Amino acid sequence: MTQDVATDRQEFSFDELMADDPFEKSLVTNDIQCHGGYIDGEYVSPRGALRRPAIRNWRERLSVADHPLITIPEKYVPPNYPNYDQAKYLLQEGVVEPVTRALTIIAIVEGFGARIREVSVPDFDAEVEESVDGTALAHLASGLFEAHARDEAGHRDQGGHKQMWEAARDAGLDKPEIPDDVLLRLMSGGPPATRKRLYPELSERMESMLLMMTNVLIIETFAEDTFNWAKKLLGDPEVSADPVQAAHIVDCIARDEVPHVDYLTVALSELRARTLIGADGQSTLSGADVIDGVFRRQLRGMATVRPQQSRERSQADIHQAVSDKRRASSVARQFEELDSGWTFPHRDDEELDVLLKSA
Amino acid sequence: MNAEANSSVLTFVPASLAERAYRSAQISWTGLRVWLHYQTLIWWDKLRRRDPDARDLHAVHQKNADLIFHTAVSLRGMLVKMCQVIGTRSDIFPREYVSVLSQCQDRLPAREFESIRQVVEEDLGKPIESVFAEFETAPVAAASLAQVHRAQLVTGEEVAVKVQYPDIEHIMHTDMTASRRIAALYARFSDNPIDFLPLLDELQTHLRMELDFRREVKSADRIRDFFSRDQDVRVPMVFEEFSTRRIITMEFVTGAKPNDLDELHAAGIDTQGFMLRLMRIFNRMILAHGFFHADPHPGNIFVTADERGKPVFTLLDFGLSKQLPRGFGMGLFELMFSMMTFNESAMLRAFRELGFDTRKGDDDSLLYIARRMISRSDTGSFQGEFTEDMTDEMFDAVRESPIVTVPTDFVLVARAFSLLSGIGHAIGQRGNALDAMS
Ligand SMILES: Nc1ncnc2c1ncn2[C@@H]1O[C@H](COP(=O)(O)OP(=O)(O)OP(=O)(O)O)[C@@H](O)[C@H]1O
Ligand SMILES: [Fe+2]
Ligand SMILES: [Fe+2]
Ligand SMILES: [Mg+2]
Repeated sequence: MTQDVATDRQEFSFDELMADDPFEKSLVTNDIQCHGGYIDGEYVSPRGALRRPAIRNWRERLSVADHPLITIPEKYVPPNYPNYDQAKYLLQEGVVEPVTRALTIIAIVEGFGARIREVSVPDFDAEVEESVDGTALAHLASGLFEAHARDEAGHRDQGGHKQMWEAARDAGLDKPEIPDDVLLRLMSGGPPATRKRLYPELSERMESMLLMMTNVLIIETFAEDTFNWAKKLLGDPEVSADPVQAAHIVDCIARDEVPHVDYLTVALSELRARTLIGADGQSTLSGADVIDGVFRRQLRGMATVRPQQSRERSQADIHQAVSDKRRASSVARQFEELDSGWTFPHRDDEELDVLLKSA
Repeated sequence: MNAEANSSVLTFVPASLAERAYRSAQISWTGLRVWLHYQTLIWWDKLRRRDPDARDLHAVHQKNADLIFHTAVSLRGMLVKMCQVIGTRSDIFPREYVSVLSQCQDRLPAREFESIRQVVEEDLGKPIESVFAEFETAPVAAASLAQVHRAQLVTGEEVAVKVQYPDIEHIMHTDMTASRRIAALYARFSDNPIDFLPLLDELQTHLRMELDFRREVKSADRIRDFFSRDQDVRVPMVFEEFSTRRIITMEFVTGAKPNDLDELHAAGIDTQGFMLRLMRIFNRMILAHGFFHADPHPGNIFVTADERGKPVFTLLDFGLSKQLPRGFGMGLFELMFSMMTFNESAMLRAFRELGFDTRKGDDDSLLYIARRMISRSDTGSFQGEFTEDMTDEMFDAVRESPIVTVPTDFVLVARAFSLLSGIGHAIGQRGNALDAMS
């Protein structure tokens, strides 16, 4: 923001990618020290002094070479369930638990975003035909993943998105009691399915990294409706205990997400414009084929069955919570009337595909 | 001293006056020797005007632990159980004791079959042959309170029958009285006594519960219910009509040991993600349900392959199952998470939530413990695995800093996680609890 970085600079050290802008004031909420801070009264995300211009420069390089940027189609971004009207109605009826549960799960899942720092990055020199010097790819292991991890989970005494979501929840819902079953919900899935290799020619490391990055990018994009929902709900003076602060924190989190979407998009687009070398050191695969293939597969899982199951699960939870209330059946009916519905695409839907735009 | 030979003669007269006197004497004698081993060193140092606190006690701890171990193994009953409990309390006892005494498990000679038959017939109220078509007289395992026999019901089912030793309640009473006497003596003579009496109380309550097998069956039922929709966890079915306060008749199960890679592979088990799966099961009990199998040593977990070669875990032995207080799972998760991110203020909140206490409410000693623990992880940062090294380090720190009280529940959970980590270690994988959650 304040730092002047030459537009042709492509190399950044780890410390540079971690560097904050010169904040005038830091973000403290609910006695919890968070990351980021204020300049001229405006919230500025953490670790952005050089990370922001760095991503801009790498993207610019793609554009100069006339390589497209991938983009996740928004058509099938599943809307948050329950929707704003439904959630507001629940809060007005004193059914706070489902909203608390949802916000707490979001906080924990954000925190687990820190797992991205454990991705082991393949040896690009051996596994990519073209050079990766001066790209986002070359900086994944030396700062980009780490910065992302710290944004999500916090680092040392600075809270990250995990703590910020908790703070927003506690501000808006006035420190609600956390339901007992949050962790149970989080772990209710079966044992991890063993993945079939998508591109057995590639090294295991390359494939796992691609799966992780596409997965996170899709989640970050799909979270958009949840951010709007939370901002509106926790910012609604009719149901929020501290609408200004609660909505502001959600807004800060949403701003912090921008560099995540950006660097993942740029790095995957860089790889898309290159040629991958198989684990045998001989065979080659087009980066575009691989990246597009990975996205197609991930989108099929993440836009169809999974959100549908989670919607059904939440719906059951809500009806359970409502059933303890007086006038249970009328509340339940009213709640259902406010549902705006959603049609989940079929797995074979051809529009479940990554899109391209110019960089 | 040849206590083993003596006690095997005495088992013919279970809990007779003679045996009780003998046990009392053995326990007191052992206690005296342990105390003397320490005391002579102190006297010696004082005589030589050396600082007794500066002495390295490793060798004498080791000698005493071995001594107690041998007495316990020869006398069995409550003493073995007591050793096992000492083996779980790394927060209080020196490392040497914990590592020697936690071995008090499988190395016990079997009891005469006649005394086992007597218990079965008394409790079922009929001759053994009217319930079991076959009953192997040699046990498959002999433990502290019970031994397990393979049998077949008259209706054909293959079963394992866990039978309590007939005289165990008397033995427990005798041992308890003798131990109390030693503890009182110890408190009078030692300068820096560990307060054994409350521990003995805890132990007694614990044993009373463990001696009622109906409780163990209930715990097994509860945990079986948690996993009723999961194909990868099994708890042996119990035949309620042939189970009593002193007997459990359950489905006979087999499987490979989880800590033996060759055995797992020979059984056709695909070990990719093995520890993730196992950790997930214990995460579910500890973090989500707040009721857990607190003794996941390798002997209590059998592994078989499903039709796709994926591991299926059969859990055994629910004698040490523990209910955790409300909010404990979340507190533990927050502790792990804050350790992962080096967030010390969040660590402190989590320690408090879990019931850690410092005498003066001082935060530094809690942080000091956390830092020492993290420093012992392989990577210098905590990633979600409580390795044995880390838990040992943590409990060393706790013992050195007597102003910190660790909640028993935490001790049991940390021990369970480090047992699991040990299984992982044996097969070249990590027992990482946070990984298994995400
Ligand atoms: N259902 C079963 N099928 C086959 N073997 C069994 C079964 N139940 C127990 N065993 C065998 O008996 C051994 C001892 O059983 P268990 O652990 O329940 O007894 P315990 O008295 O609680 O033992 P310890 O006190 O040593 O933990 C087990 O390790 C196992 O080898
Ligand atoms: Fe985030
Ligand atoms: Fe993010
Ligand atoms: Mg047991």
